[in-house]
Amino acid sequence: MTKDLISINDLTTDEIHGLLDLSAKVEAMPLAERVQMLRGNVLGVMFFEPSTRTRLSFEAAMARLGGSVVGFSETGSTSVVKGESLADTVRTLECYSDVMVIRHPWEGAARLAASVSKVPVINAGDGSNQHPTQTLLDLYTLRKFFGKIGGLKVAFVGDLKYGRTVHSLVHALMMFGDVQMTLVSPEALQLPDYLKIEAANRGVVLNETTDLAEAVRSCDAVYMTRIQKERFADLVEYEKVKNSFCLTAKALEEAQEHMKVLHPLPRVTEIASDVDSTRHAGYFEQVRNGVVMRQAILLTLLGVRP
Amino acid sequence: MSEKVLLIPKIENGIVIDHIPAGLGAPILRAIVAHPDARHVVLTLGLNYKSNKLGHKDLIKLDIDDLPASVLEQIALIAPGVTVKRIVDFDVDKKYVMQTPELLVNLVKCRNPNCVTNHEAGIATEYRAINQRRVQYKCSHCERIFFLNELERLAAAAESVVSR
Repeated sequence: MTKDLISINDLTTDEIHGLLDLSAKVEAMPLAERVQMLRGNVLGVMFFEPSTRTRLSFEAAMARLGGSVVGFSETGSTSVVKGESLADTVRTLECYSDVMVIRHPWEGAARLAASVSKVPVINAGDGSNQHPTQTLLDLYTLRKFFGKIGGLKVAFVGDLKYGRTVHSLVHALMMFGDVQMTLVSPEALQLPDYLKIEAANRGVVLNETTDLAEAVRSCDAVYMTRIQKERFADLVEYEKVKNSFCLTAKALEEAQEHMKVLHPLPRVTEIASDVDSTRHAGYFEQVRNGVVMRQAILLTLLGVRP
Repeated sequence: MSEKVLLIPKIENGIVIDHIPAGLGAPILRAIVAHPDARHVVLTLGLNYKSNKLGHKDLIKLDIDDLPASVLEQIALIAPGVTVKRIVDFDVDKKYVMQTPELLVNLVKCRNPNCVTNHEAGIATEYRAINQRRVQYKCSHCERIFFLNELERLAAAAESVVSR
């Protein structure tokens, strides 16, 4: 694996499997043993955009490995407001930390950070481009639920245009050539052309549809995303589509018994709360898996093997 | 005597850029003179010569030993397939058929307005060809893929003149 984790495209399938295996190993370790592993190490966090799960799970992951955390979760109290460049902010935090995590609204910001930093950099989301740690925890969740990734049928539902979690996971699943992907979205929020071009270049078929019920019936996993009201120029259009892509417990009655619903969260109305108590709800398990996957990533980048 | 010799005589030493599709001579000329090391070079531009291969072609002759590497890359971007000949004592010393580079470093602007290269000062853009035909390129920063003809060229950067 390279020094940094910037894009899921930088990883080979073997490296992805290695991280999934390491996550399982870490998860099985007693907490008392885990808490010694990164003692004395410092994680630098730079969140130029809001985050709940990603930032907290990184902080929890580092704390439970015995390390500590410095950094910021909003730029208002930093020199960024004085006009400090991104590169200089990275060079500064590099002096205080052994590994860094960055979330930034510009696409490619994490790649830039990695190019100027001597310590490993982890991308926690760059604009609408990549979110590789979410992707890895999604893959870990799929493997935990189904025992495999290859051969699965996965549907992506909702905002496929702007959601970086979708973009990253679609990229990753393309590497497992025999995964069948179905895309369910309103016309205005379809997967970007550059991803469709990439799929075509790799010989991966993406099935596009607006029929959520059929996707629920036929797929092993349904990856839901929030339809963002602010993306619609015409609110009438939003009102038309917002309820077409909602899952309820009743809608899941036709699903296969083993089918799981995943969601990067936060959710709003796209998954009704009555789904939470069904056997299909997989999204809170997904959140839990985020900590062990991020622990595996931190250990790998810092060269510590359990 | 051919029309070409009548209009632009042979040069003793210098560079000849030949087989330029008609209409692309002027953009190539602009890319050359935009470079500080080539700004004051003596040159001749011929337009719309008859060509068996191209129908019509443009031609440029320059009184310069070698063109800077970044200018050659710009030429390859503007008109892949053109021939660059180095002339010494009226003879062709070296000859290259220009191909679009596999890696474009600071040659084109990223089309994605939200790409970090369009916000942070002093970062070189980098595009890599994603297929052998070199018609589609991927930004190394934002990972967007564009067709080469969608990308806006950046002016040639200053550098020392290097031989090819």
